[in-house]
Amino acid sequence: MSATTESGPARQPVRPPAADRAGKRRRKGRGATRVHPALYLFPLPALAVYIVFFAIPTLQAVQYSTTDWDGFSADYENVGLGNFERLATNDDLFTNALSNNLKFMIVVVVFQTLLGLLLAIFLVRNTTGSLLLRGLFFFPTILSSVSVAYIWKFVYDPNFGLANTVLEAVGLEQFTSSYLGNDAAAIYWVALTQIWFHAGQMMVIFIAGLQMVPSELYEAAEIDGAGKWRQFTSITWPMIAPATAIVVAYTTIQSFKAFDLILGLSGNPPRHSLDILSTRIYSTFTNSQFGYAAAESLVFMAFIAAIVIVQRRLLKLTQKDV
Amino acid sequence: MTQRSSGIGNSITRRRALQLLGLGGIATVSAVSSACAGPGSGEGGEQQGGSGGDELATGGPVEGEISFAHWRAEDQDVLEELFAQFTEEYPDASVSQDISPSNDYQSSALQRIRSGNIGDLFVAFRGAQFVDMVNAGLYADLSGTDVVDLYQPDLIEAGAQDGTQYGLPYQLVFNQPVTNLDMLESVGITEPPPDWDSFLAMCEDLLAADVIPMAWPGGEIGNAGHLFNCMVMNNAPSDDMCVKIETGEYKCTDDWFLRTLEQYAELRPYFQSNATGTAVEPAQQLFAEGQAAIMVTGSFHIAAARELGADFPMGMLAPITVSADEMKYEGIHNATFILGVNTASDNQAAAMELLRFLSAPEPASTYANGTAQHLTVTDVEYENEDLATNEEWLQKQTLLAPRFQFTDLDIRNAAEQACIDVVGGDSPEQAAEAAQQIIDQRVDA
Repeated sequence: MSATTESGPARQPVRPPAADRAGKRRRKGRGATRVHPALYLFPLPALAVYIVFFAIPTLQAVQYSTTDWDGFSADYENVGLGNFERLATNDDLFTNALSNNLKFMIVVVVFQTLLGLLLAIFLVRNTTGSLLLRGLFFFPTILSSVSVAYIWKFVYDPNFGLANTVLEAVGLEQFTSSYLGNDAAAIYWVALTQIWFHAGQMMVIFIAGLQMVPSELYEAAEIDGAGKWRQFTSITWPMIAPATAIVVAYTTIQSFKAFDLILGLSGNPPRHSLDILSTRIYSTFTNSQFGYAAAESLVFMAFIAAIVIVQRRLLKLTQKDV
Repeated sequence: MTQRSSGIGNSITRRRALQLLGLGGIATVSAVSSACAGPGSGEGGEQQGGSGGDELATGGPVEGEISFAHWRAEDQDVLEELFAQFTEEYPDASVSQDISPSNDYQSSALQRIRSGNIGDLFVAFRGAQFVDMVNAGLYADLSGTDVVDLYQPDLIEAGAQDGTQYGLPYQLVFNQPVTNLDMLESVGITEPPPDWDSFLAMCEDLLAADVIPMAWPGGEIGNAGHLFNCMVMNNAPSDDMCVKIETGEYKCTDDWFLRTLEQYAELRPYFQSNATGTAVEPAQQLFAEGQAAIMVTGSFHIAAARELGADFPMGMLAPITVSADEMKYEGIHNATFILGVNTASDNQAAAMELLRFLSAPEPASTYANGTAQHLTVTDVEYENEDLATNEEWLQKQTLLAPRFQFTDLDIRNAAEQACIDVVGGDSPEQAAEAAQQIIDQRVDA
């Protein structure tokens, strides 16, 4: 209403721009044409794989989650929502795993993103030195999780491990630790391993984002007298927001899938201080509680879905800002 | 509207095609869903699981590939040697080993063996895994077969359930600390300390001699738990203490369990520093290098310590947590590696023959001496020096390892985690309450 008052009422319909009209024609045309039906057969193999390996197991998990099935018996009882009720109200092991997973996720997301960005900023130029260092920092990414776990198991071993040996060698014995044996800190030591493992990968995504920023923007900013920090906050950061969103989403999902890293570092079953959701579900399956494990899996799936939805919204917001 | 001029799809619109695809998808989902095994989804009333003991096909030719599923990677070479002898006798048969690390075997063997693709002959851990495998119908009934007579009857009870002999425990292990006899002798210890005070005094003497008294893998709950057996064997009011914890009759907050935790706290200074972060391999290394006088796992790690270069005489002892006159048990044994023939196997006759071969005294002696394990098989000749040294334990008053009475792994881990937490600095009361809370939740479930 205020717009009408200020600029006056529109007297005649506004014609859309020519490009829009052409687009509409194309869309209308596509809707009217018929595609050869054989083309619809092409997605069938992928669809079949999806149905067999994802849709059906998911549906079955829903079915199992309402039972007390042990995974092998012919008999089972329907327990309705009992498994979910127990999960929500009477399972400290699951709550502990959830808590560990959240701590792990927060530390990994924050520090892996920051480290990836820092490395990218320092190594964005395509010089020989930068290329070599990029390769070096990216190297851990190509290792398998189990190899990484064994490398870091050696680092963290309190008796013969690298960390304590180095600390003792430089006279810092007071800082030696049992690392993974320290319940209060264990999950953060695993987070450190995860950051080492994947920061190089995030660096590559950030470098791709940084190289998309037009250099003219920095030149203009320099002419306007903006310092390095101002250039970063006003140009670099907003321009790499999409890359940041991808890194954060990817890192979050990764932190829920650290299953093999945890089992490699702590053994199976992991001690309570290192139990995360995926390892808890595995332990529950191992303990012949198939129905309950299925309920845990569904909650786990819902949890990841919720986080991904939130992150997608954040991604849209950041893109809008750009 | 545009009409195509030819082709069978003339009358099919995109919407129609998508509808057909959708219907096809639903049909596929229904068909595959019904084909996939689910709770009680046996066809025509066929049982998917159920108690074990299916009839064993003992007759038939010994031929084809026999898969032997187990977790003892360290025994692979000795077993290969034995299987070569077997296939010499039965040239139409071959044997392959399907080996998983012990923890993975505990987690996934049941489902893998149940498929019938592996494990014509297989093994189980005593306790939860054996019970589950019997309940899943994996073990063929061996009752009344000639092979059972090749074993010491009192040592194969762990392979029976409800009067049926499903499996045959092969290994007789001692889940109690292994000692460096030279090192103990250097501080004047020639006999196992008879009570708790003398055990602590021995540890103190070792510490004074600048030796780590005990190397304990507190970073791995599975291996850390072996000590639990010795710590409760004389403290608990009954021999089925872990069964009673699991049923809720006993609590971790009971006096006997608290006393056990307090004794764990007393042991803190005698473990290697940062013991709660130590995995089993570094603990073995500390022992093998002579840095630690006692390796707190069991006889099954003697061979590993030898591999690491330990060249000193080894013995065993168990901490006696009570006074000498209250002592009921001197140590812990376990009958495990429970051999069985897979009901899902299509080569049962050959698997049975392989079981018979492994159970004969001569191959069993080869296995025992090659792997430094005592066996439950009769007439085995122990020539291995470590086995000979520790043969006296076969005659001692030992308790069947109580930790394997637990059939719920969450409950077992909670009880054993309490012990680790106490060594890590928690108070016994705090650790006991935390463990009991988890156990209560599992018992209520």
